[in-house]
Amino acid sequence: MNAAAPSDDTLIRIRGLTTVLSGKKVFDALDMDIPRGKVTAIMGPSGTGKTTLLKHITGQMRGDAGQVQVDGKNVPELGREALYALREKIGYLFQNSALLTDFDVFENVAFPLRQHTSLPEVLIRNIVLTKLQAVGLRGAAQLAPSELSGGMARRVALARAIVFDPMLILYDEPFVGLDPIALNQVLKLIRTLNQTLGITSVLVAHELDAIKQVADRVFLIANGKVVAQGDPKTIAGDGSPWTRQFFGGEADGPVPFQYPASDYAEALGFPRSGA
Amino acid sequence: MNARIERDNIVTQSLGQIGACGLFLLQILAATPRSLRRHVRETVRQLWFVGAMSLTIIMVCGLFVGMVLALQLYHVLSIFGGTAATGTVVAISIYRELGPVITALLFAGRAGTAITAEIGLMRATDQIAAMELMAVDPLAYVAAPRFLAGLIALPLLCCVFSALGIFGGHLVGVTWLGIDNGTFWSNMTATVDVWQDIISGVVWKSLAFGAVVALIAVFQGYTAPPTSEGVAYATTRTVVASSIAILALDFVLTAFLM
Amino acid sequence: MSQRKSYAVGTGLFIVLGFAALAYLATQTSSVANRQQGDSYTVDAQFQNIGQLKERAPVKIAGVRVGQVQSIALEPGKAVADVKLSIDKRYDTIPTDSVATVYTSGLLGDQYVGIEYGHAKKYVANGGKLALTRSSEPLEEMLGKFFGAGGAADAIGGTYKVFARFSNVGTLSAGSPVKMAGVPIGRVVSVQAEPDKLDALVTLAIDNRYNQIPDDSAAAVFTSGLIGSQYVAIQPGGSPDMLKNGDEMILTQSAMQLEDLIGKFLVNGSGSGDGKQGAGASTSPAGKH
Repeated sequence: MNAAAPSDDTLIRIRGLTTVLSGKKVFDALDMDIPRGKVTAIMGPSGTGKTTLLKHITGQMRGDAGQVQVDGKNVPELGREALYALREKIGYLFQNSALLTDFDVFENVAFPLRQHTSLPEVLIRNIVLTKLQAVGLRGAAQLAPSELSGGMARRVALARAIVFDPMLILYDEPFVGLDPIALNQVLKLIRTLNQTLGITSVLVAHELDAIKQVADRVFLIANGKVVAQGDPKTIAGDGSPWTRQFFGGEADGPVPFQYPASDYAEALGFPRSGA
Repeated sequence: MNARIERDNIVTQSLGQIGACGLFLLQILAATPRSLRRHVRETVRQLWFVGAMSLTIIMVCGLFVGMVLALQLYHVLSIFGGTAATGTVVAISIYRELGPVITALLFAGRAGTAITAEIGLMRATDQIAAMELMAVDPLAYVAAPRFLAGLIALPLLCCVFSALGIFGGHLVGVTWLGIDNGTFWSNMTATVDVWQDIISGVVWKSLAFGAVVALIAVFQGYTAPPTSEGVAYATTRTVVASSIAILALDFVLTAFLM
Repeated sequence: MSQRKSYAVGTGLFIVLGFAALAYLATQTSSVANRQQGDSYTVDAQFQNIGQLKERAPVKIAGVRVGQVQSIALEPGKAVADVKLSIDKRYDTIPTDSVATVYTSGLLGDQYVGIEYGHAKKYVANGGKLALTRSSEPLEEMLGKFFGAGGAADAIGGTYKVFARFSNVGTLSAGSPVKMAGVPIGRVVSVQAEPDKLDALVTLAIDNRYNQIPDDSAAAVFTSGLIGSQYVAIQPGGSPDMLKNGDEMILTQSAMQLEDLIGKFLVNGSGSGDGKQGAGASTSPAGKH
């Protein structure tokens, strides 16, 4: 708790995080340091708990052991009020955007402002239009979420996530399902937000090419541990069997092709010793 | 997980649901002061969707229930030469039983399912999680307003239903079947008691039904598995569980109130 | 923002509508509608028997509601009910010799107090007393006198059968009681239509104890009470020969329509109404025979 001062270079410090979900160890004494003011990417095979890790950072889930310090506060120990105070400083971009279907684009972006402040309407309007202009959707302010394409919805969600000028934005699979144009738009936004506002960004993604363009640091997690970390441009060549399989896209390797199962021959009814 | 579900029989499952529902009620009640302080507008908005939007069906059904009651009772009462009591019996049956029960059943079908489906889909599309991450408590912003709206709306709807029922009864009894207008009203006013029939029947009963239906609807939506099948199934359960709860509670309340 | 306002306005309208409906129900369809608005004064009246009269029952003059029953108490030391009537101030010219009567609204309705004006020049004042009263006449009593209905037949030993033909049996059916002087003496075994004679053949099973019934006795189909079931009444004749098993009763009277009965009752019964008050309860007047 007392290890991190606010001026620390490390914004998120995870130590010995262990989480067991329905009998399966999702994290096994995971350690991770996410630097302040940088773009950090978390990669890993599907099902290794990358999104679950983000949920630990926001306090939606709590581990069975270990610490998750965000800006010097240990998230699992925070009470409701303190946790909500912390969350106001964190933006979160959902994979499916999670816009509120009750409201139009403008009200979606204005939602956090209306809930947490009692700013005059003029000011809210100006802030919202500024953020929408930043993501290039000021003209779409009156549209309903159902009228937006996937890429537009994600940009609206991004505008909503930054409406409070957070210190940290968590992106959960921001590139999935986007066409190359929309992907580049989102990519550009992530970079701009990081560079102009100094917002620390954490991405969970699979697209190495995209990550190479924005991320300063990459963590590769598998089997509940960080198996490789480093610069995105060089990590693929660091010689570890994990990175070779993951970035080389090999079907079999440290991540087995077969889901753990009983003996194949036995399952088919053959005698164990073989015919 | 699967093995456990298979092992649990329907009784323990239902008991578990009732217990979880009760705990959920406590959570909602705990979130209610916060909800009223910060999100009272949301309660007003839900009152519009849940209450005002149900007015049409409630009014039409109230009218027809009153009309058919008068028609049936007129023919039965005419056997005993008691058609003058038609208005009284229409009023008493609507105030004590049919008004609260039918309104609650219609409400469960019209508004309860909408609440369940809406919350279920909000959860499935991560809107609930998004609120939590925007430091907006979904219990206070989503659950409590809908619960409160149901609680407030049902007694009001029941009053409208009852008034339309009386009007329908008058329409058939007096305008069509020719019961004397004065007889119709004077017999009714002589028998109907404000506290016994209107307050304890229309108001208290429907308040209790409103709480139960709204709680079940919100609970089912909130705990629905985030899949299309899960939401569909939760919506069905809202109707089934609400209907059973309304009629069972009706019996208990009648035994205590009357 | 305009979206939000329209919700608020619509919701407000909905709430107003709901409360308006409640106010309407409470004030227009319930007893609140009958509450006295203006001042009232109190008048005493004493009755031998108030029947089903309740507090807050209406008080009417010429059928118009003028007040309500304020309280009902037993006069200390006497078997007399002391009823306080609360009457609207506007109707303060009730002669002192007016008659207060406990009436029933309709056949099955609630009871109320009716006041018929007398001719005295003096009016009843606040706290005054209406000396002339007529008590409630229990419906059962009146009907019992008229129809002589009785209880159910005893469980009895051996029976003998007689037949009777009626042109109309009303709703008489197998199992209906057979009574003589109001006392059940047997029951109807079967009711069959006789197509060739255009009448109904009724088989009666009569208890062996009652084997002294003259063979010229008459059988009639009567109704117990106004809305009760029908039964066969046997009115003994004067012949020296008695009915035997298998005999047929020659004299019969068929079922009467309810309307006929009431018509008869109104013609014959209304004149003697005053004399009957306070008569002992006798739902089965012939019970001691």
